[in-house]
Amino acid sequence: MRRVAVIGVGQTKHGKRNDVNYPELVYEAVNRALEHAELTIKEVDAIVTGSMPAPMEGTNDPQLWLTDALGGYLKPLMRVATCGSTGISLAHSAYYHVASGLFDVVMAVGMEKMYENDPQGTMTTVAEPYYQRIFTAGAPGIFAQQCNAYIHRYDIPKEKLREAAAEVSVRNHLDALKNPYAHIKMKITVDDVLNSPVISYPVRFLDLCPISDGACAVIFASEEIAKKSEKVAWVKGLSYAGDEHNLGDKDLVNWESAIKPAKETYKMAGIENPIKEIDVAEIYNPFTYQEILYYELFGFCKPGEGYKLVLEGVVTKDGEIACDPSGGVLCTNPIGASGLIRVAEAALQVMGEASNQVDGCVTALAHAMGGVNQLNGLMVLGR
Amino acid sequence: MEDVRVLTGMISLTYQWVLSSTDARFFDELKNKKIMGTKCPECGRVLVPARKFCPRCFVDTTEWVEVSDEGIIETSTLVGEKLQFEGQPIKPPYGLAIIKLDGADVGLSHFIGGIDFSDPEKAMEKMKPGMRVKAVWSEERRGKITDIQYFKPLE
Amino acid sequence: MIQLEVGIVGVHIASHSEVFKKTVRDAVYDCTKGLLQHLGIGKDDIDTIVTASSDYYQGISCSNSYYFEATASYLKDSTKVEGNSIHAFMYALMRILSGHFDTALVLSVTKSTEIPQISALANISSDPFYQRSIGICDVTAAALQAAKYMEIGAKEEDFAEVCVKNLKNAFYNEKAYRKMLITVEDVLDSPYIATPLRELECPAHCDGVCALLIATKEKAKEICKNSLTEPAWVAGVGWSSESYFLGDRDLIKSQALKKASERAFKMAGIENPIKEIDVAEISDTFAPQELLWFENIFSKSGIDAIRDGLTSIDGELPVNPSGGSLATNPPIARGLLRVAEAALQIMDVAGACQVEDVNTALAHEAYGVGGQHHAVVVLRR
Repeated sequence: MRRVAVIGVGQTKHGKRNDVNYPELVYEAVNRALEHAELTIKEVDAIVTGSMPAPMEGTNDPQLWLTDALGGYLKPLMRVATCGSTGISLAHSAYYHVASGLFDVVMAVGMEKMYENDPQGTMTTVAEPYYQRIFTAGAPGIFAQQCNAYIHRYDIPKEKLREAAAEVSVRNHLDALKNPYAHIKMKITVDDVLNSPVISYPVRFLDLCPISDGACAVIFASEEIAKKSEKVAWVKGLSYAGDEHNLGDKDLVNWESAIKPAKETYKMAGIENPIKEIDVAEIYNPFTYQEILYYELFGFCKPGEGYKLVLEGVVTKDGEIACDPSGGVLCTNPIGASGLIRVAEAALQVMGEASNQVDGCVTALAHAMGGVNQLNGLMVLGR
Repeated sequence: MEDVRVLTGMISLTYQWVLSSTDARFFDELKNKKIMGTKCPECGRVLVPARKFCPRCFVDTTEWVEVSDEGIIETSTLVGEKLQFEGQPIKPPYGLAIIKLDGADVGLSHFIGGIDFSDPEKAMEKMKPGMRVKAVWSEERRGKITDIQYFKPLE
Repeated sequence: MIQLEVGIVGVHIASHSEVFKKTVRDAVYDCTKGLLQHLGIGKDDIDTIVTASSDYYQGISCSNSYYFEATASYLKDSTKVEGNSIHAFMYALMRILSGHFDTALVLSVTKSTEIPQISALANISSDPFYQRSIGICDVTAAALQAAKYMEIGAKEEDFAEVCVKNLKNAFYNEKAYRKMLITVEDVLDSPYIATPLRELECPAHCDGVCALLIATKEKAKEICKNSLTEPAWVAGVGWSSESYFLGDRDLIKSQALKKASERAFKMAGIENPIKEIDVAEISDTFAPQELLWFENIFSKSGIDAIRDGLTSIDGELPVNPSGGSLATNPPIARGLLRVAEAALQIMDVAGACQVEDVNTALAHEAYGVGGQHHAVVVLRR
């Protein structure tokens, strides 16, 4: 099988970008990635792009309007979209473009402009209208139910779990201060989190991600091209899975659509003990409790013990596995780009160029989740 | 938006989604205060709302089974006042839950109601996972999921 | 020439009448089930799935989320392309070529009857600042393009001939939606929708699901060994894009389509397309576009082609024996339909639409108002 590597990444400054329109936002990320990879757009063979459902920005088939800003003029271009997991689906698609042998250099670009309309209202339309839509209170309403299921599943002492969740928030926000592209830059304490207003119980304001404008571009290349570059992060493994659309059909805690692709990704990458063999995990973490649950789903610890990893400092830069040293989705969330930013940050860690660099990072994991708690994708990058 | 130049617009689109024969029968039975599921011949699970096929086994599920209008909360949340968006059906605070009705093998999403939401911690205790709930039916039933008004926690 | 060694082993098309009473989810399930039964395989024989649907064209966002399990995708690597299903075909092909998967289900669904007017949806694909407010939609963009085409020699009669040809071809296609025996006069008598486009020159929006299974050479041979058909081998592919603004493009000479075709032909080792292609399914969403795209693909006047009968069902290079989009247009799914119809021709199972002695077939799709994005697939026996 053809080896594929990331050879360049670019991001916009994420946040409230009232200084640019949608195409200009995209153009910023594309140019940064080309600069990083030391390429011109001419040398890019194909482009794959995606974002949240088109109703988010209110322009149908946005890839049409964005074609030129993407550098897509006279190039093969397609739109791949899987809701929140779009970013990882874009990375996968670009990988398959190159791995197929049809292209040598392919750019994945994810984007979102979220201040122009009502994101929760849009996200609610992901649920079908017959049975579930009116019971969907945007993303928080869904994830809060998953969080609540998790809290009650195992005999986890409630206060310890809340403390752990609050620490996750504090850590991510602190790390974001070191990330020049991150949106929310705020120094907070555990008490700030525990006392922040309830959004959808048990999730509080500081337990959840912002909405952000932003774009990210990641350039994948074949072995021949990558070998000539100094900045390289090889794709070691990838996998994706989804489960049923009906929220009530699945076990949100022993969540198969996250467990299975993690196992398959590790198998492909030759990883047997993730917490030891992975140096950085850029986990899709729009909610604090969800990040903790993912430690368990990804095999970092036993079910019900995720909170211990937090309280014992295992998931910090100084611990066994640094989780979301970029500040994660929790501090920066231009949704269509969020999953791809995880790949970009993982790549930068492997390249030794991350703003919050983990010393000696050899292997990094990127992940994203999408739909109404339905889809999960992962990718492992390494030297 | 504050000091920013914007172009304001609205997109208003009408959709008319077909009711499959399975959906139509499920909703008709709701009018009669009956909640129906279909049973998978392979895995044996009873799926609610009734389905045409089993999502896991990928086979037709043609056996209709009535399930109870009482069941157990699998998970829940109390939507707070700060979560408001265009198209929201009720002004918060309100309760949402996934309920496994007696006789069903999967959960049904619906509202939790009939309790006092003004104290969130107390309310969450009443509607936490494991609590039993019973359907409160709407006076006027039209063949929609809202023919069940909400599920009320039993004391 | 590149040997891709990937084949289409089976096709399943669900027509409007088979779909319109079903929900999207149930229609997708029935189509997937139908394909599996037809091929005599089970859901576990599908390694990966690439679907195509668009959120505004369904009214359910993250549109594959709703019908996810209906494509036998439970706990599988199943993804979604938007815009047009021909890209789903391309993506599925790349998944197979990568060596990670041996079989891929490609499926697309659109239910025009459930959703707002297609032109309304096309209008909101125009940016909110410039093109949307002047009503640029699928019809008006095609009309502007057709008017330009007439400046360089195309006549209304030429456009009308495309309608007559395709709507008559549709009679022989049991899955087609709009079938009519009409004359050029009938077309020219129908009202203008946006000059110079007449009502009959605009697509027939309908409901539809299209599914096909592609596989590696070994797997394809294995699956087909108990069937009457051989796989339709993928010989070459290419896709490319024009700029967004209508005014930025040459609406007649599409460099994007030329590039896409050239790449597909090169991959397939085709040097003289007009001679070597036996049948073509070309995007005819608006009648004049069939001629325009024909020109760009084959470097031969589309006007001459229709006037000389080259592209008629008994001509040297029949175009749209299925009736095309003029007969059957479930918007997102129609791209995959072009590939499916071309595959049926190669497999010799196109029924009454079957063209004789088909060794090489071409499928083309254009999407985005005025034909912004183009994709070409060449299939071989």
